[in-house]
Amino acid sequence: MRRWLILVMGLLPVQALADCESGSTQHRAEGRAVTVAFATQPARIKVGEFFSLDATLCPKAGASAVRAFKVDASMPDHKHGMNYQPSVVRKGDNAYTANGLMFHMPGRWQLVFEVDSAAGRERILADYQLD
Amino acid sequence: MSPSGLTLALLLAAATALPAGAGQSLAGFSAEEIRQVLRHGPWPQTVPPDPANRVSGNPAAVALGRALFFDSRLSAGNAMACATCHRPEGALSDGRERALGRVRLDRNTPGLWNVALARWFGWDGAADSLWAFVIRPILNPDEMAATPRQVAELIHGDAALACWHAKAFGPPQGTDPERLLSDAAKAIAAYLETLVSGKSDFDLLYDALAQADAAAALRYPPDARLALFFGRGQCAVCHVGPNFSNGEFHDIGIPYLVAPGRVDPGRHGGIALVKRDRFNRLGEFSDDAAGVSADHTRHVVQNHTTYGQFKVPSLRNIELTAPYMHNGHLQTLHDVVRHYSDLPEERLHQDGEALLKPLHLSEQEIDALVAFLRTLTSRQFPQVNPAGCR
Repeated sequence: MRRWLILVMGLLPVQALADCESGSTQHRAEGRAVTVAFATQPARIKVGEFFSLDATLCPKAGASAVRAFKVDASMPDHKHGMNYQPSVVRKGDNAYTANGLMFHMPGRWQLVFEVDSAAGRERILADYQLD
Repeated sequence: MSPSGLTLALLLAAATALPAGAGQSLAGFSAEEIRQVLRHGPWPQTVPPDPANRVSGNPAAVALGRALFFDSRLSAGNAMACATCHRPEGALSDGRERALGRVRLDRNTPGLWNVALARWFGWDGAADSLWAFVIRPILNPDEMAATPRQVAELIHGDAALACWHAKAFGPPQGTDPERLLSDAAKAIAAYLETLVSGKSDFDLLYDALAQADAAAALRYPPDARLALFFGRGQCAVCHVGPNFSNGEFHDIGIPYLVAPGRVDPGRHGGIALVKRDRFNRLGEFSDDAAGVSADHTRHVVQNHTTYGQFKVPSLRNIELTAPYMHNGHLQTLHDVVRHYSDLPEERLHQDGEALLKPLHLSEQEIDALVAFLRTLTSRQFPQVNPAGCR
């Protein structure tokens, strides 16, 4: 089951899934200076199974290119994160793959994208309800 | 989106994703109970081949592994076999609070039925594969206390073992004792992979609900109320999936003081051990050269919250493996459920699982949860019985 809710800096507008110029379009998270378009492999995340995440970062008008990108996740209601630390590999201009993600419990998870650009650092959140 | 709109979106998403057979009540089971039951099967599960063990599933390796499992020559002084503690008549456990090797050990002997379905092995997950798990007690000076050379000489010196070894692994590739030790462990792992227990009452309920067979569903013990396990008890948050475990580690407030001045670090120590284990999935003895099965080894992270965490055990056949918890200090299933009912919050890790709160169960609710746990006991325990090596 896929149940994504995209949060922007802690707020809750659910974004229409649309292309972010190029690259992955499965999901989309809006930040202040950057939009993260991402897809997971496999598309359906299962409890206790590893998945990877392909992300395309699209700087908004006037913003500069991304310098660094990290991915993590937590269960806010349980007050803990994953038991595994993903590794992020740059695949091209503003394209990244994160490997080694695992949601080990059902419930509400929150992906955390950390983006560092000339516009500063920002954390972009995306909620996922894992049943 | 307004909160109500958000809720609606979630409900719609959930409704479209319900598995076949769910969505409506049947034989007194609510739609939510059916949905939860269908997350915990089907059973039995097929054990996938282990890429790090090239003889996984190989019948000759299974025969060799079975022979070695019961062979006390695999220990110093021929004192004990794997089966000395993992007793077939005891659901492959020993019934003791804490295991008895050459000395009394710190932890309870885990049962081995369905062990191959795990991701990590041992209460602290110090092994990332079943065969690496097998090596630890063989070499541990406090347990079987064997040496790689002793294992190598045993396999070379016994005609039947040598025959099975040649059939499973091919012509000998050198005389490196550690290589033969890893071969022996991989063969024992191949045997352990065959130990998948049969269906339980719960699995018969799963089958009935999956097939919408009301008459069959009604045969499920009426006092084993599912709602407590899946609902208020929130047991299925960690004991989730067909093997009733998420395969990970938690601190549930069990004391980890082993002796005055000595604590069991649990998962914190286990991660350190697995990272430096020469027999791990990233090491030279793994048959998975590309490391495709080593995601968990590669990405596992040790931090302060892992201190005092222990593995979430499978609940299948739990009725048969008393006493309970990593140190065996809870004698009965009633004691286990009472532990969660009276959970010592002051003992829990400040940064630990926020979900853990005392359940404050009534005696009737405790009885019902224990009755549920007993429905996870298999009715059959199929075992391989290889013929001799020719």
